[in-house]
Amino acid sequence: MRPVYIVGAGMTRFGRSEWPLVDLAATASLAALHHANLGKIPVDAVVVANMGAGRVNRQTAIASALVDRLSLWPAAAESVENGPASGASAVKVGYQAIASGMADVVLVTGVEMMRAVDGLEATDFVASLSHPEVEYIYGVTLPSLAGLFARLFMERHGVERRHLALVAIKNHDNAMKNPYAHIHQPVTMEGILTSPEAVVNNPPIAEPLHMFDCCPVSDGAAAVVLATQEVAAKIGAPRVLVAGIGQATDTHAVHERQDPTDLKAVRLASAAAFERAGLKPSDIDVAELHDAFTILEIAESEAAGFFKPGQAHKAIERGETQLTGKLPINPSGGLKAKGHPVGATGVAQIVELAWQLRGEAGGRQVAKAKAAYACNFGGFGNNVVATVLRKEER
Amino acid sequence: MSEKVYAFRCTTCGAVSYPKHMICPKCRGEAFEPVEVAGEGAVLTYTDVYALAVDYETRYLRLAIVELDGGMRVTGQLLDEHPRVGKRVRTTVGVVREPADKPIYGLQFVPA
Ligand SMILES: [Zn+2]
Repeated sequence: MRPVYIVGAGMTRFGRSEWPLVDLAATASLAALHHANLGKIPVDAVVVANMGAGRVNRQTAIASALVDRLSLWPAAAESVENGPASGASAVKVGYQAIASGMADVVLVTGVEMMRAVDGLEATDFVASLSHPEVEYIYGVTLPSLAGLFARLFMERHGVERRHLALVAIKNHDNAMKNPYAHIHQPVTMEGILTSPEAVVNNPPIAEPLHMFDCCPVSDGAAAVVLATQEVAAKIGAPRVLVAGIGQATDTHAVHERQDPTDLKAVRLASAAAFERAGLKPSDIDVAELHDAFTILEIAESEAAGFFKPGQAHKAIERGETQLTGKLPINPSGGLKAKGHPVGATGVAQIVELAWQLRGEAGGRQVAKAKAAYACNFGGFGNNVVATVLRKEER
Repeated sequence: MSEKVYAFRCTTCGAVSYPKHMICPKCRGEAFEPVEVAGEGAVLTYTDVYALAVDYETRYLRLAIVELDGGMRVTGQLLDEHPRVGKRVRTTVGVVREPADKPIYGLQFVPA
């Protein structure tokens, strides 16, 4: 296998798109292409991550549409739909193309425009990833699966609502330093939990989870340019190596898992990514986790191996996951505050980490970041892609 | 009413799956017989969800995962004013979703 480097990264601000779907994808792609500064080197393939354009935007085959918008013919092109893990899956497809020798330069773009429909329809569109026969028919939505999971996980590990609030406060604070974030609004413990007004400010969404435990519904796009070592050297790009990717699946219905609080697919995907990278969780300097719900940041950080089971909420209490802590988690603001355009999310995590490793993350830069980890959590944990990146010194 | 909910018993090893798999997760067998999902169990976890999908007029839904006696777990709607983890419930079958075309029947849990 040939080594694969990230030589360019860009994104749009998440929130409500001012552009049509393909222009949104093209805007992020252009930012990544400019960042890479390829000159005359052609893009051999384009991979688009998207979950719902066929349903939500009534447009299909958007990878071909993106190639056309960017005049990248005759580049190969395909779309990847893998639920909320579409983004990292698309990066994996691009990685495989280069590692195998089928391509030298690949553009991977994630895009989602969910605000084209109302909230009810957007929630239902995402809910359609649940098991149709034994979950969806009961009115199961992603927040409900998170609520069911949270009650069990919190009881088992002694996690309280204030720990969830600490995750939200941290991620909102980080997003204040991220110009691409959907939400620029600092939140306080008083405002969302301890004051009398908190009951109104922070209504229940899926008990025990409340509004400030849940990510917003966002439009947005993110893109990376992947290339061979030879191309990376030619354009003089900083050496951000895709050191290892791991992926694992689990049962479709959450109730069928032996221990529903064990994020087994996160565990297995992470272990595979670390093994391929030749690194351990303790080598990681910065991580982007899939905090569609605050409880998931806590649970994933344990399943990925950064903390022992039942210890993550204590580390959060000690400030270890803040920007200046031992292991900064979600410096971008995470899905919680940066936003969650589902197909774009996994790519946006890699964009943030590439910027962090290049030292280009501005006010949210993690000092001396050399190794980074991302968890892109598909379904409700039934399809997870973990990615480890490493900066090579020249 | 005639509506019933079925799980699937592997005729090779006897393992019961819900939902259906076409290969037994225990023994890789490929032959199954339907068994009715009914009986008593305990609430493993529950939630009141206000972020609802289409097809619902209510303000919130109370959903639960129940572990039935015998060990099989099922997801369904919890019809209980005083829910508690560990509380004993029994299954019934009722309308759980009403799209425009026809009502959908599924599992509901009531206090045992
Ligand atoms: Zn069997």
